[in-house]
Amino acid sequence: MNQDNQGLDFSTVIASTVHDMKNSLSALTQAHGQWLARLPQDLRGSSEQGVLEYEVTHLNGMLVQLLGLYKLGVNQLPMCPDYHELDDFIEAQLAAQQNLLQHRDILASWRIETASPLGFFDRELVSSVVANVLNNAMRYAGHTLLITVSDEDEQLLLSINDDGPGFPARMLERQHDYVQGIEAQSGSTGLGLYFAARIAALHERNGVKGRIEIANGGALGGGLFRLYLP
Amino acid sequence: MQVYSHKSFLIVDDFSDFRSSARSMLRELGVRDVDTADSGEQALRMCAQKRYDFILQDFHLGDGKKNGQQVLEDLILDKLISHECVFLMVTAETSQAIVLSALEHEPDAYLTKPFNRIGLAQRLEKLVQRKTLLKPILQALDRGRPAEVLAACAELCKKDPRFAPLCLRYRADALRDLNRYDELEKFLSTIISSRATPWAYAALGSLLYKRNQISQAQGVYEQALKAFPMMPGLYDGLAEVLVAQGESKRAQGVLEEAVRLSPLAVRRQMMLGKLALNNDDFDTSSKAYRHAVNQGQSSRYKDPESNLGLVQALMNKNAGNGLDARTRVEINTVLSEVAKENVEDQGLQVRARLMKAASLQQAGDAETAAKLTEQAMARLDKMEQFFSVEAALVVATQLQQLGQESAGTSILKNCVETYGDDPKVMQSVARLTDDPAVLGAVTEAVDLNRQGVRSYQAGQLSEALGQFRRALTLQPKNISIALNTAQALLRIGGEAPPPAIMDECRACLTCVAGIPESDSRYDRYRKLHIRAFGA
Repeated sequence: MNQDNQGLDFSTVIASTVHDMKNSLSALTQAHGQWLARLPQDLRGSSEQGVLEYEVTHLNGMLVQLLGLYKLGVNQLPMCPDYHELDDFIEAQLAAQQNLLQHRDILASWRIETASPLGFFDRELVSSVVANVLNNAMRYAGHTLLITVSDEDEQLLLSINDDGPGFPARMLERQHDYVQGIEAQSGSTGLGLYFAARIAALHERNGVKGRIEIANGGALGGGLFRLYLP
Repeated sequence: MQVYSHKSFLIVDDFSDFRSSARSMLRELGVRDVDTADSGEQALRMCAQKRYDFILQDFHLGDGKKNGQQVLEDLILDKLISHECVFLMVTAETSQAIVLSALEHEPDAYLTKPFNRIGLAQRLEKLVQRKTLLKPILQALDRGRPAEVLAACAELCKKDPRFAPLCLRYRADALRDLNRYDELEKFLSTIISSRATPWAYAALGSLLYKRNQISQAQGVYEQALKAFPMMPGLYDGLAEVLVAQGESKRAQGVLEEAVRLSPLAVRRQMMLGKLALNNDDFDTSSKAYRHAVNQGQSSRYKDPESNLGLVQALMNKNAGNGLDARTRVEINTVLSEVAKENVEDQGLQVRARLMKAASLQQAGDAETAAKLTEQAMARLDKMEQFFSVEAALVVATQLQQLGQESAGTSILKNCVETYGDDPKVMQSVARLTDDPAVLGAVTEAVDLNRQGVRSYQAGQLSEALGQFRRALTLQPKNISIALNTAQALLRIGGEAPPPAIMDECRACLTCVAGIPESDSRYDRYRKLHIRAFGA
């Protein structure tokens, strides 16, 4: 750990700045929401409104990821797993993006096929991964998204399916490079996969680490993101 | 959908924009009864007046104010909210809030900003469902009946075993409160080997420590920190264990690590100050004590020992060099606070004055120092309360340094009378004096007390009582001997002890009525006191 007290502690700087930026973002969306409520009904669903919703969510996701990546780099990302109700977890992820789904006219549904209604993971960390994946899937989806949670080899498998064109072939071929951060500089999707893989790997049980996978096809024929949690 | 029209809500946030936006979201959900508070202090006052069903509490409420975690602790410890109340911690950055929080008191859920109405509705709905599922457990918790908590957990696990993991923590806490330690140890070990959580490690570590299995406790904490290196509470546990093993340097290092992760913790800073002071690291000590004093202003864990510790650290830091103006001002401020806020505490009044006198002497003002020393000594004469060992040693040293040799010796004599059965205390006293009248006073009484304990354990009660009585005649203010005598008397007296026995028992307890609350035997004293005098 950094014992050097000279100069700025960048971890604190970035944490407090992101904290302030997120507060600003909250204030912005709240003010916007209240302003929107005063508009006549026919002006509320404009396409600009959709852009605003999307970009705010995207910005928020990037801020969380930025801070997370930094903390991973200095080994300061806190991990605090516990039991969580799976339906609650998935519902919360979709509720956070509900306005956006409506604007983009995307029907999102979910299915839980696990034996237990509870999963064991760090809610905050996994939630930041799912939010980014959903945000990304929404960009490419046609009209449907499907989240499923199932058991596979004593691991929890969380799949996010869309009905878009799927991941580019090159990305599928080189997904191991993304996961290892080798291609992380190539845009936000790459970085997102790296972040997701690192968070998955923080979840460990009896020597088995969590992991991610991307594929095309899946239940809806488009992109498919899989997160395995031991 | 859940109906909220008859539910009461409290929104706590320092930003009025957030309060009004959250309020309008709640209104849209059909909530009619919404109150708001702009600080934790105000929220606490409101919760003392009214029972809320839901609290939306912002974590960061500004520097120098209580944060959300402190508000939650106060609400729980002062029993201002029911366990059935839904407490949502609102944060901009939840991971950080978790690190800054304590493991003992967790909110029902974290809600990360920004959130929208649909997101809020979803969380509330789900939390109400969970609280409904757990209702019998929560009601038993409100009644403070751990046995009923266990029964309610068993009932729920039978009805729907799939939700059994939600009961783990309630069951562990209940087993602890019922002193069912063997079961608890097994239970926690099972949890850790299957799905380890920070709280389970902390609970097992503290259980082993309490049962004096120090090295096992150390192993648990070390294992825990490998898995969860970002959880400050686990460092606190490890530090405590290391102190018990005499490794105070390592303990200090561990606490410094915890403070880096989570500096906002009065008790942690105070502990660090104390350790560093003992380790002669006066820089670290004064910094930590200063944090403890500042943060204490908004905390229930405010403690005058931090103020006194800070002054001691500052004086030691500048030993041989006088005191500069800034340090003198700081010393003045923190000591006046002790005197002003603890008017009824004779011991603290004496200690604050002597500390002040010592600092004036160091600063070169011998005249005022002498005046203050006299004042302190006048109060000392009228004091009924006993000093704790640590306080007595500091006071004795200061009196010696202020030229009051005989007053210092008399403090040490009293300390030996009260605590002399503890060889560690005798060692510390021996470092300050070689007066045989002080050091030799206890040997016989301590021997008799030891024989008494042996007889008592062998079931020879009347023999034990005889030995305790003789010991007590020699050392009537020794806490251990007095408590042992009282206990033996009550044991012999049986269900309805004769008046003579009760009188003798009361007399023993009255002799040691000055026992400080910080003493590890204080609980035992209280229990005996209740039996001898009634509640």
